[in-house]
Amino acid sequence: MKDIIRVKCLLSSDVETLLNQQIKKEAHSSAIYLSMASWCNRNGYDFSADYFFKQAEEERQHQLKFYKYVLDMGGTAISPEITNIKIEYNSFREVFEEALDQEISVTQSIKNIAARCHKEQDYVTLEFLNWFFREQREEEYKARRALELFEVIGEEGTGRWQIDKHVGQIVYNSEA
Amino acid sequence: MQQTVTLPQINFTEVFSTKNGAIYQSDSEGCWYVDFAGKLARFDYRNLLKLKKAVYQIDIEDLLLNSEKSADLEIIFICACDHCYVLSLLQIIKLKDLLQGTFAMLELNHIIFDRLHRIIS
Repeated sequence: MKDIIRVKCLLSSDVETLLNQQIKKEAHSSAIYLSMASWCNRNGYDFSADYFFKQAEEERQHQLKFYKYVLDMGGTAISPEITNIKIEYNSFREVFEEALDQEISVTQSIKNIAARCHKEQDYVTLEFLNWFFREQREEEYKARRALELFEVIGEEGTGRWQIDKHVGQIVYNSEA
Repeated sequence: MQQTVTLPQINFTEVFSTKNGAIYQSDSEGCWYVDFAGKLARFDYRNLLKLKKAVYQIDIEDLLLNSEKSADLEIIFICACDHCYVLSLLQIIKLKDLLQGTFAMLELNHIIFDRLHRIIS
């Protein structure tokens, strides 16, 4: 008897489900960043708004990367429905705290997929995920640095204005 | 003149069967035939997965426990597939049983393929 399922699709149904959840997560992330950009713009933090617009675009690219991967592997990529996106934030700082939380949760969820791949010996997907681990290192670094500006500069006086100006200048160029 | 029509030979392999039905695989067509609820229906790869998803999604426990006076019938309709099932609760349990066995067998077949044919010893 032929192994038809394997011929049609390289992904196990479990990994496919996890990847589709990740597609949703990335889309959700992108939508959250867009909402943060809106809040920053409305409150006069222009540089931070730009920063979040860029982040939103990046998350969208990540989503598409997962999406195309699932299709390339013969799976069914599901276009996600995104709801419950927060509009208001209590403070400038809270925006960045949530941004970091968001990145941490994305990293954790990709680690979870990798763990499943290890279990199934799905080295093809593992290799694909490697790019994301590298990317998450950068994303978490940037989010953490942004939040640290609140400590380094302080919010008093023109502090927030300074923080906003420096957010756009955070770069990650580690060779490691 | 007499015309002879040669039908393509279709070889079925039984994947899994229970008292209530069976699922066969056709290697030449790359599809499966589901013999259940009095009909033989052809499912390709995508549709078989959709059938599995549709059946697995039914909350049997909920159907068993709810005391509404509605009939315990479920319509399993699969998008872009010619077949549809109208099943009673008992039939759903039987179909689920059949599908679970089938997918376990397909998984086993996959493992055997991997071990015997694909891994160079």
